[in-house]
Amino acid sequence: MPSTQPMIEARGVQKWYPNGFHALRGVDLSVSKGEVVVIMGPSGSGKSTFIRTFNALEEFQEGSISVDGIALSNDLRNIDAIRCDTGMVFQQFNLFPHLTVLENLSLAPVVVRKRRRSEVETQAMALLERVGIAEQASKYPGQLSGGQQQRVAIARSLCMEPRILLFDEPTSALDPEMVGEVLEVMRGLAAEGMTMVVVTHEMGFAREVAHRVVLMSEGQIVEEAAPETFFTNPQHERSRQFLAQIL
Amino acid sequence: MTPIQTGPESGTTPPLRPARPAPESVQPNWAGALRQELFASRTDGLVSVLLIMVILAAALGLLRWALAQAQWAVIQANTSLFAIGRYPVQQQWRLWLLVVLVAALSGVSWGLLRAFPRADRSGEIWPFNDRLVVALLGFLAAWLPAALALGLPLQLRWWVITALLVTMRWLAGHWGRSLPSRLVKLVPLSWPLLYLFGMVLIAGGLGLPRVPPSEWGGLLLTLLMASFAILLSFPIGVVVALGRRSSLPLLRWSSVLYIEFIRGAPLITLLFLGQNILGYMLPGGWAPDRVWRAAWVLTFFCGAYLAEAVRAGLSAVPPGQLEAARSLGLSMPLALQRVVLPQALRIALPAAVGQFISLLQDTTLLSLIGLLDLLGTARTVMANPEFLGKNAEVYLTLAVLFWCCCAALGLGSRALERRLDPTHSPV
Repeated sequence: MPSTQPMIEARGVQKWYPNGFHALRGVDLSVSKGEVVVIMGPSGSGKSTFIRTFNALEEFQEGSISVDGIALSNDLRNIDAIRCDTGMVFQQFNLFPHLTVLENLSLAPVVVRKRRRSEVETQAMALLERVGIAEQASKYPGQLSGGQQQRVAIARSLCMEPRILLFDEPTSALDPEMVGEVLEVMRGLAAEGMTMVVVTHEMGFAREVAHRVVLMSEGQIVEEAAPETFFTNPQHERSRQFLAQIL
Repeated sequence: MTPIQTGPESGTTPPLRPARPAPESVQPNWAGALRQELFASRTDGLVSVLLIMVILAAALGLLRWALAQAQWAVIQANTSLFAIGRYPVQQQWRLWLLVVLVAALSGVSWGLLRAFPRADRSGEIWPFNDRLVVALLGFLAAWLPAALALGLPLQLRWWVITALLVTMRWLAGHWGRSLPSRLVKLVPLSWPLLYLFGMVLIAGGLGLPRVPPSEWGGLLLTLLMASFAILLSFPIGVVVALGRRSSLPLLRWSSVLYIEFIRGAPLITLLFLGQNILGYMLPGGWAPDRVWRAAWVLTFFCGAYLAEAVRAGLSAVPPGQLEAARSLGLSMPLALQRVVLPQALRIALPAAVGQFISLLQDTTLLSLIGLLDLLGTARTVMANPEFLGKNAEVYLTLAVLFWCCCAALGLGSRALERRLDPTHSPV
């Protein structure tokens, strides 16, 4: 069960894109340690933009975000510190194609955390074992299936020993038959008490694993509820429309 | 994931069909391929026959001229001029030492490349191509010095140098794996060191008597100019390409200005301009004489074109790569160095090598500003009354020399490309 210690604290976040589009219109969200929060919403609702502000891949103009007690400011050292503790898994995997699977995992721990390569590789092999692809360690990402690539991407994030994992539509680019293996890994992480913020449309995952489901629309949070309540008895008209569309 | 059931235990569903071997028409075979490529239809056959006849006729004519009519004495009498120009005789041992070192290091690097295949491949220590290259080297060592009518001591030297290269290749190929890994890691680093050492050997310094650039010439000068420009233009190209994509306006604008200025003028103009004004632009002592001034012009010229190649490579790397690297905590310089640039440079490699090849050929323009590069040497030889009218022999030799250098660059780059290609399936 999640504790009450906040890991992510976002207050009144406002973001405009350079073309003037108001992408985030005052979003508040607080995520506790060990909590799994699923963010849903129609495309263009700002959900990806929102979680990308947590590790400063997107800037925001107003409001405040603090991650694990560190306030996101323009100080570069702060940003790098937050990124080290915040893993992110992308829709398009974004594995490094010129490095082997093992090198993908060990790059950041070695060059950023300055750990010994041999020690990191032992840990990386253990992680690959855990996501079920240890035998592919010396292959290149292009030689793996989509599901395997996404599991490598998760293992790569874990290798930095993050305190928070952000998932940006981790299964949207996968063939249907490969979604299951990725969700399985994510379920395991949630069970171990990892703090996770997941943007996804996987209803089953949300219902089963999430502690809280958040629905975003037009750059704001429309509804925030426990999954049981959210799926059976949504309060907001928007939520009902959205659920009707994806069911 | 539910596994698809096959085999007898699958009860109600009929068993899936097993794979069959491919029919004849799919499998490549020699005669069939030839027929398909050259004589697929009547018109194809006609065109093929005509073309083959034209090519054969031209080749025969050239061969007859080269073997019967041509008088190769003009080359034989001037081998040293073509190779190194007027480099002082008593200092030539320095060049021989350099050739020996290059041969040894090439052999070692080549062998180590085979001893340490890429992580996802099973390596063969003597693949077919390598055996072919060794055979070719052996043939060249046996035939070329003799054909050039070199004295026996010189012929012997070339045999020894070739033998050294092949021996080092053999040793490194077989025992490279048992070397301590620290030593192996030094090998790539030893190339730039050898280059610097070679510069000292050629130009003098560190106790060696100075040989001024005006006494370098021929192939030596051509290769020196080309390699200098290639090596230095590379960092320039990368920095300018990054500058052009920078978010700092001043850096961006000056990069664009540099690229457009260089690309807007023909090289020959820049070379003449360089002879006149480079002395004022570079810090004192950097461009003291005509050869170095020309070298810097070539470098900056190549750098501008290279920057465009690198920029194309940079924009071909998906933005997600930088995001992924940054989200793992890599700083901007680290992300560029470890993630973005390796991919961008691999994409830019073919265009960059094309640029290097044309740079190598552009060194012939140096003869127009009065330097004795290969073409300049050739012109002085042809102007010698003793060899009047032997233009065809000289130009053909020049063409073959350039062709060999460019082919080596091209082959090397393709091998590098294959080695760096992460999606190239193992054979």
